[in-house]
Order: sequence, then C-alpha cells, then structure tokens
Amino acid sequence: MEITWEDGARTSYTGEQLRWACPCAECRGEGGAPGRLSRVKALSDEELRIKDVTLIGQYALQIAFESGHATGLYSFSLLRRLVA
Amino acid sequence: MSAPSSQQVLEALATIRDPDLGRDVVSLGMIKELEVSPQGKVSFTFELTTPACPVRDRFKSQAEDAVRELAGVTDVAVRMTANVRPAFMRPKPSEILPGVKQTIAVASGKGGVGKSTVAVNLAAALRLSGATVGLLDADIYGPSVPVMTGSHTTPQQSNGRLLPIEAHGMKLMSFGHLNPGSEPTIYRGPMVGKAIEAMMVQVDWGRLDYLVIDLPPGTGDASLTLAQAVPLTGVAIVCTPQDVATDIAVKALQMFRRLNVTPLGLIENMSWYVCPSCGHRHEIFSHGGAESAAKRFGVPFLGAIPLEEAIREDADSGTPIVISRPESAGAKAFVAIAQQVAARTSIQSYRQLPVINVH
Repeated sequence: MEITWEDGARTSYTGEQLRWACPCAECRGEGGAPGRLSRVKALSDEELRIKDVTLIGQYALQIAFESGHATGLYSFSLLRRLVA
Repeated sequence: MSAPSSQQVLEALATIRDPDLGRDVVSLGMIKELEVSPQGKVSFTFELTTPACPVRDRFKSQAEDAVRELAGVTDVAVRMTANVRPAFMRPKPSEILPGVKQTIAVASGKGGVGKSTVAVNLAAALRLSGATVGLLDADIYGPSVPVMTGSHTTPQQSNGRLLPIEAHGMKLMSFGHLNPGSEPTIYRGPMVGKAIEAMMVQVDWGRLDYLVIDLPPGTGDASLTLAQAVPLTGVAIVCTPQDVATDIAVKALQMFRRLNVTPLGLIENMSWYVCPSCGHRHEIFSHGGAESAAKRFGVPFLGAIPLEEAIREDADSGTPIVISRPESAGAKAFVAIAQQVAARTSIQSYRQLPVINVH
C-alpha cells in the first residue's frame, strides 16, 4: 500500500507490516489484558493480505484483510510513525 | 492606441491576491470568459469561491482599477459570480452526501451557548448570499431546528428516501421532524451514531453548496460519528465569553483537531447586551473570552454576536433574525461571521486528502 500525503511525501507499507501494527483492541489488548498480537508468533498469508482500504473521515484508514479482520482504524499519525 | 492583449490583461489581474488563499486570482482560476475587443473594451467574469465572499466588492474595484490602468483600455465590465468548489481535491466524489460540496459542522462542547441559533442563522446568511444550503440538526436529544425555522411538517418519502423539509429557501432535516411533539428520544450512544448516519444517507439532500450540521453538545458519539462518516470541511465552535464556556469549547476544538478536522474558528455568542431603556452596554458573561482562547490555540476568531431579545424572539417564532430583521446588530454580526466561515471553508477546496494506492 502506498500513500501520497497532503505535504507531497510518499510512504509505502507491506500488508504484513500493517497487520502486525493493527491498533484495534483485540490485537493490542485493553485494560491491561494482552492482545492477540502479543500471543501469536505467526499469522497466515490470508491474514497479511490487504483486501480493502477505506478512508475514515479525514484522520484514519480502515484496513480490511483477506481474513476478514477489519477492526483496526489506522490514524494518519500512526501511519506516518510506522515509516519514520 | 491599440487594445491590450488578453495576456496583458491577465498579467494586470494577477497582481490581485486572494487574502485567504494566499495566491493570485488568475492562477486560482477565478478569471473566466475574458474578452478584449479591438476598440479596447475588456470584459470578463470574476468567479469567487463563495457568494458570501467578504472581499467581493474590493475584488471588483481592484479588478476594474488594475485593467483600466493598462494602455489602450477604453472600458471595463466585470461580471461577479460565485461557484462553490467541493472541499478537498480528490479522485472520486464522496459516497456519502455525493451532491454536497462543503460540510460545515457547528459545535460547542458546552450546551446552552446558542449553538443552534448560530447554526440556523449561519445557514440562513449563506442562503441569503445566494448559495444553496442545507441544515442538518444532529442534536438527537434536543432538536431545536424545527422551532427555530417554523417548520413543523413531517418529511415525505420518495423512492425510499426522505425528502428534506423546505423552509426559508433552505433544506432542513431534524430528529424533531421525524419524532415531533413532546415525546423524548431515548437512545444509547450507538443508536445516536446510526441516527446521524441515517440523516446523511437516507435523506435526499440533492445538490448543495453548503450543508451546515448543528451538532449536539459534548465530545462523544455524535461528533465522532460525523467526523468518521464524512470528510468534514471544517468545524466552527460556538461559546459564550466566560471561562466555564471557553474552557469546554477548547476541549471540543482539540477533539476535532485529533480527528484531523480543520477548526474554522471560534464564535463568541452573547457577547454584550445593550439595555433598551438606558442604552448602556453590559457584558453579562464577560467579553473577549473566545477571542483570547482563539489566539491561545492558534485558530481564527470568527466574530462576536450580541445578546439581543430579538434574536431569541425570532428564533421562537420560527424566522432566523438574518431574514426577519437584517438591519439589527445581531443579524449583521451573523452575516459577517457567515462570510468569515465561507472564506475559511474555501481554503479547504484547495487541500488534497492523502491518496491511497493498494497493489
């Protein structure tokens, strides 16, 4: 996935990188409980392939993976931090 | 003496800069249908980005003066028009509200500061300037738009979609139209989000230059849903001058910043009161709080509105004061604020949202 930002900067990401960075509560954990991504060692190919990307308002992207996982809202600041 | 070339005319006009957009009016594409006759008669269309442009008259005289100074010009005719451009340059139109060019949210953080009064008058002032305007009352629990606009009809359906109510030349939709009378709407958070989404998706708004959205107070479900569902052009934040109101307004401002929604600026309501019997000016809720908060947080201050009995009276009787008493101080304040909002909104037309490519 490639993003051209408002300031002209370009960044690119692999599905694998984005999947492991998923910010949703299930993946990250909440209220002190560890999330799924800290428990599993590997994810299947299906989980790593991007199926669809939707713009949320003007602050985030919702990324859906082939596995059906789509609960992560990747804020623009997170996306820029990932490649910094 | 021979007439100037079109190129020379455009060069002369390129000395005029748009103060809000920070570029010259020729490169912004505002000069259209330029004709120069062999006799030296110059005519062109000056297309503004909003009919509520605060510098409209200044642009016209600047354009006339700039062209008249050219050698060989015998006459100048400027046609002033306006064409509101869609917010953000993007490859495809938004799927939600596809016919709406600009969406302007009116928020406050705190309740009771006159947000709905401001939203209704802002919408009416934009309408008076010549724009096509809709007003969505997103305050599910306390819908005020039906009373303030005197529209108490129930929306009709057409092809499975709701038709907005027409009043004062505007298209309106409020939960008060759908659930009239004294029965309350008792909803939990997720239902509020669904209801607001439905008012955008299931209502046939048609083509609009501006859709003004009157938000409920607070920094919760309604505001979040809205900021997630549509790329809002921007948000205007209303507060009264005292600290307890500006402090909460700032929270609303910061929430919208986190959601990457541009703050168009702060509006100070109930800013002063002129006593009808003694003529003395009272500052009941203090004065200047919004302006200093705007400075502190680096956002524009859009203007101040007086506390006037007539604003309340006309709101209760269903005609926005900008229509019923255009000469009043209150109406003039609303019109000036609407121009500021329109100008700030135009700037967003030249912004580019991030472009995403997946391969």
